[in-house]
Amino acid sequence: MTEPVISFDDLSVSFPTDDGMVRAVRNVSFDVEPGEVMAVVGESGSGKSVTALAAMRLHPGSTEITGEVRFGGRDLLGIGEKEMRRVRGNGIAMIFQDPMTALNPVMKVGAQIAEMVLTHDDVSKKEAWTRAADLLESVGVPEPGRRVKQYPHEFSGGMRQRAMIAMAIANGPDLLIADEPTTALDVTIQAQVLEVMKTAQEATGAAILLITHDLGVVAGIADRVVVMYGGRVFESGSADQVFYRSQNPYTRGLMSSIPRLDAPKGERLIPIPGTPPNVLNPPSGCAFGPRCAFASDGCHEAHAELMSVGFDGTHRSRCHKLAELPDLFAAAETR
Amino acid sequence: MTNDPTTLPAHGDPVLRVDNLVKEFPIQAGLFRRQVGLVQAVSGVSLDIHEHETLGVVGESGCGKTTLGRTILRLLEATSGSVTYKGESVSGAPNSRMRELRRHMQIVFQDPFASLNPRMAVRDIIAEPLRIHGESRAVASARANELIDAVGLLSDYGNRYPHEFSGGQRQRIGIARALALQPTLIILDEPVSALDVSVQAQVVNLLEDLQNEFKLSYMFIAHDLSVVRHISDRVAVMYLGKVVEVADRDSIYDRPSHPYTQSLLSAVPVADPNAERNRRRIVLEGDLPSPAAVPSGCRFRTRCPIAAERCSYEEPEMQTLADGHEVACHFPLSPGESLIEVAAARGR
Ligand SMILES: Nc1ncnc2c1ncn2[C@@H]1O[C@H](COP(=O)(O)OP(=O)(O)O)[C@@H](O)[C@H]1O
Ligand SMILES: Nc1ncnc2c1ncn2[C@@H]1O[C@H](COP(=O)(O)OP(=O)(O)O)[C@@H](O)[C@H]1O
Ligand code: SF4
Ligand code: SF4
Ligand SMILES: [Mg+2]
Ligand SMILES: [Mg+2]
Repeated sequence: MTEPVISFDDLSVSFPTDDGMVRAVRNVSFDVEPGEVMAVVGESGSGKSVTALAAMRLHPGSTEITGEVRFGGRDLLGIGEKEMRRVRGNGIAMIFQDPMTALNPVMKVGAQIAEMVLTHDDVSKKEAWTRAADLLESVGVPEPGRRVKQYPHEFSGGMRQRAMIAMAIANGPDLLIADEPTTALDVTIQAQVLEVMKTAQEATGAAILLITHDLGVVAGIADRVVVMYGGRVFESGSADQVFYRSQNPYTRGLMSSIPRLDAPKGERLIPIPGTPPNVLNPPSGCAFGPRCAFASDGCHEAHAELMSVGFDGTHRSRCHKLAELPDLFAAAETR
Repeated sequence: MTNDPTTLPAHGDPVLRVDNLVKEFPIQAGLFRRQVGLVQAVSGVSLDIHEHETLGVVGESGCGKTTLGRTILRLLEATSGSVTYKGESVSGAPNSRMRELRRHMQIVFQDPFASLNPRMAVRDIIAEPLRIHGESRAVASARANELIDAVGLLSDYGNRYPHEFSGGQRQRIGIARALALQPTLIILDEPVSALDVSVQAQVVNLLEDLQNEFKLSYMFIAHDLSVVRHISDRVAVMYLGKVVEVADRDSIYDRPSHPYTQSLLSAVPVADPNAERNRRRIVLEGDLPSPAAVPSGCRFRTRCPIAAERCSYEEPEMQTLADGHEVACHFPLSPGESLIEVAAARGR
């Protein structure tokens, strides 16, 4: 078996605030294998971004972090800032929802990509600019020779997203973390950017950790999926396991609440009642308990552990009622 | 329970008729704010909305959906064109009459956080339109309490303030306020776009229930084609200020005829890994042109995979196809014809 590219091991992240401790991420564990696309899905506030930012060590100084994030044989939470800077950009690169988070508005796009190339490779400045143009071309920016000399504001939203991807893959990272990379884009531009990400991944062999709330995007690109709720992993498995054989009440609820382009017409949506948990005052026991159709007293007393379902350990779910779920789901279907 | 809107007949005079509506914004520059150009946000839109009907309006950001909704209600003054409510001219109504007409036509905004006055209690927010229209405090409050119940909020929420509520609950408050004057038509501008999916479904169901209960007509503006498919009876697709295709929901989604509609539908990801693996996607090239510099002829031609010479100089008129489907394209696709195949056959 190959080593995972990155392993989150019992990661917890908390923010002390004036109103109390925000426990944003709780005991999160999962691996990303080389070359795969792993999606992290969940509604807003479920802890997806905080998990990713912890891997990049881009969190405020007062943050309380426990657990490990193993990458390239070491725990990223334990290394010095200098070594961490080498990891960012070379080992792990990040793609954000807003490309202006990563792009410098007063620097030519080509210069920014060339600078990235130069931090890693000992090449001439001219060679670095040529590489910048090649990278822009590889992500589908037309007329790259002219575009390298432009500033980010001269690029459209979709083109900026491509420029950021070009910069992210400049040094052939082992892992690309993409946090809602297409959320702000229109659907025709989203389709372009997703295609560019797939192409870039095939060309570089990088693994992708894709964070999104859009189950459609996940279905189109992910090999495996982690579902988060209230800062915890509720389910993880292959895309097929999670989409077709989910063993978790929250995942099921999420799936049936979305209107689908291919759903039978006239069918009523099945919402999840209530609202996502308040991070400052989370429910006791299972975080999904107050909204779960299958909850019973035990659910409100203690949270369930993430357990393996099935035989090969590839599919995991967090629920007190794992054994009864197939019957409960079947009964709910016929209602 | 099923709720199939297609079984509802669209008959009689429309509640709302929009005829060749245009809204341009001047682009100004320099010290003297000299006009240097025009943004054609809405360029000649014609639409009808019938009693108890939901017209979905879809299109990518910047295509003019919000401007259309606001211009219909005269929150923005139209550059030209007309709007008629139950046969009466809205465009020509004097201010006093306009105030009355607004009772019948309400709007709900996307952002439930920005559209509610943070210093007013929920009951007062909902009662305010009634007070403005001269109802006594007692009557307005009583009606607000009924509405709080109708939109599925707990009765004691009336004394609380907007910041105490989640996005979905705030959207319910916005809807209750829009219902206060017992309108006939509500323009819903991206009412669920800011909400998480589990909560979005609650609000969509609520809108469907309220429509049935109060016989409302909706103009449902959104960029999410799946939500629009779910809620609409008819759908208008907009591109750069124009309606390019309008038809009943099933014709639009099952037999899209305009190349843009087909591209848009093919770009939407579906939450089904097998379907996604087997899908052939039309990935449109390029970006949306600026509405300040629209292409000549057909506005979609710079991205259309089957654009021909004629498309660059002749603007396509809206034409009605056999099934009542209206489409503005020189080469509309026939039922079952796929843009990918037509483009391939032409060597694109
Ligand atoms: N720096 C911070 N200080 C306090 N709370 C934070 C901070 N960053 C994130 N949070 C909270 O942590 C929770 C998880 O946030 P996040 O990971 O951004 O969610 P999402 O799943 O939407 O990406 C949220 O409730 C958020 O408000
Ligand atoms: N007040 C305004 N002044 C100038 N341009 C405007 C104004 N409001 C909207 N626009 C422009 O009109 C076009 C249509 O905008 P809008 O109606 O908001 O589109 P949508 O709601 O479909 O995203 C956009 O190009 C937008 O920038
Ligand atoms: S543990 Fe209980 S409340 Fe939580 S998901 Fe399972 S059944 Fe529902
Ligand atoms: S008129 Fe021409 S450019 Fe416009 S959509 Fe039809 S084929 Fe394409
Ligand atoms: Mg996030
Ligand atoms: Mg808008």
